[in-house]
Amino acid sequence: MPLKLRSFIYALLDLLREDYPLQLHELIRDARGITCLQTLDDETIIIKIRRGKIKIVRRVRKKEINIRVSLSRRCLFRILEGELTLEEAFYTDELKVCGDPLTLLRTYQLWQKIISLSRKSPRFYFLTYKLR
Amino acid sequence: MGFFRIQDTRLVDSFTLPSIFERRLALYKEWHDFVFFDREKGIFGLLNFAIYGNPYDVKRGYGGALVFFVDSQGTAVTKMKLISLDKLHVTSFSPDFLSDDVTVSYQKNHSFKTKGKLDSVSFDLDFQVVLPPTTSREIVLDILSKHRLNTGMIQAAAEMSRLWDCWVELPRLNVSGEVALNGVTDSINTRTGYQDHEGGIFDWGSTWGWDTGVLLCDPSVGREPGKVSFLFYRFGPTDNLSHGGIVMEIENSKQKYFDSERINISRTGNYSGDQKFCPGITRLLYPDYRPYIPRRITFSGFNNSDKVKIVFTPMAVCNIVLSGIYSNAETIFHEMFCNAALSCLVDGQIYDGNIPCWFESVRPRGTVKKYALKA
Repeated sequence: MPLKLRSFIYALLDLLREDYPLQLHELIRDARGITCLQTLDDETIIIKIRRGKIKIVRRVRKKEINIRVSLSRRCLFRILEGELTLEEAFYTDELKVCGDPLTLLRTYQLWQKIISLSRKSPRFYFLTYKLR
Repeated sequence: MGFFRIQDTRLVDSFTLPSIFERRLALYKEWHDFVFFDREKGIFGLLNFAIYGNPYDVKRGYGGALVFFVDSQGTAVTKMKLISLDKLHVTSFSPDFLSDDVTVSYQKNHSFKTKGKLDSVSFDLDFQVVLPPTTSREIVLDILSKHRLNTGMIQAAAEMSRLWDCWVELPRLNVSGEVALNGVTDSINTRTGYQDHEGGIFDWGSTWGWDTGVLLCDPSVGREPGKVSFLFYRFGPTDNLSHGGIVMEIENSKQKYFDSERINISRTGNYSGDQKFCPGITRLLYPDYRPYIPRRITFSGFNNSDKVKIVFTPMAVCNIVLSGIYSNAETIFHEMFCNAALSCLVDGQIYDGNIPCWFESVRPRGTVKKYALKA
């Protein structure tokens, strides 16, 4: 049974707090104001970054959401394993992203920094593969 | 040469796990590299079994298996998998590397039984030790006994000893078994196997890299020598700040050494073939990254009346980008399967041939202004 997205985000935040507190602080600072409606397969969560915290919230006002990302597990792991570039993934039906360009870029940079940390952390790698 | 017997392989090639009191355990790394080329089937293989980080802490250490195969059509296939330490067994008393998905198991008949399945790639290969292990200490002593010490030698040796605690090679292995690549299974049977085993405690960002490799010779074919290997170790940020040489084994296990002071190395053109990247997220982090790989690399050297020329043509490339733990510096390994066109004259005897070759070029990632290294 693969890990749920919600549980993954909570575990990831715990990991970052424990192993990379400074980087987590920077990530939150740089991503402040993002509210992301994130879908992985059939699970959807809302990630809200405000006032020095990343939270998963049950509901927000619709206009608060400034980015929507939807992807499949299959697509996620094909990207992570280098089988697809992000550009190629957009041409599949398995990755959809919607938002204003600036917020999109900030979200991309946020994930880029997190993914970059994963190369230093085996815990991060093993946690990610629990999603599969 | 010749400190060890084949029977010593188990101990000499064991993992040298650091003490639990070592202050820099997070920087520990050690691996086996197995290389072979089956000339009949046209299949090349590089198998790497590694352990990284604190080997006593399941949160901070991990194992890794990486395979780079090139099939008979010239298509490169790479797979990489990390292994949690609670599912990996390694000790300081054997070369074994045992996990659920991948195993290296040293046998009583002095062979390594390797078995694994990484997604669509699986292998079941036996590497039989044919010649005894050699260590870096032996190689250095052997070179020093025959050649005058020079500054480059000392600098390269100092840099190597700063990084490496363990450096062992098994110069000849017979390889047999099966490899399945994307659903196609081939049997493997070749006498051109090779293994090296390295380990040390250092951050990836702290090395200037090296160029090393082995021509996978078969002395029973044409005028091929017994073995040709090379190592050029960098101790600074340019290719000129390096030292090493080519070691050639000819008849009756006699060795010839060509020192880098008498070797000219040239790199020409741009390799335009497919480049694989490991880990896969490298493509996500650097979508447009295509490091420079020469189309041809030529070594031309001499030693008194002996002459050697090797022209390497990369046929398939796997780039491995590794990040430092305590810095953002990155190191790139260009693992290349090459065709090596060898022509040389040693002791009045001509050796030549087009010989399959494993070539590993390691350097810091990124170009530094005013410096010559490019990666």
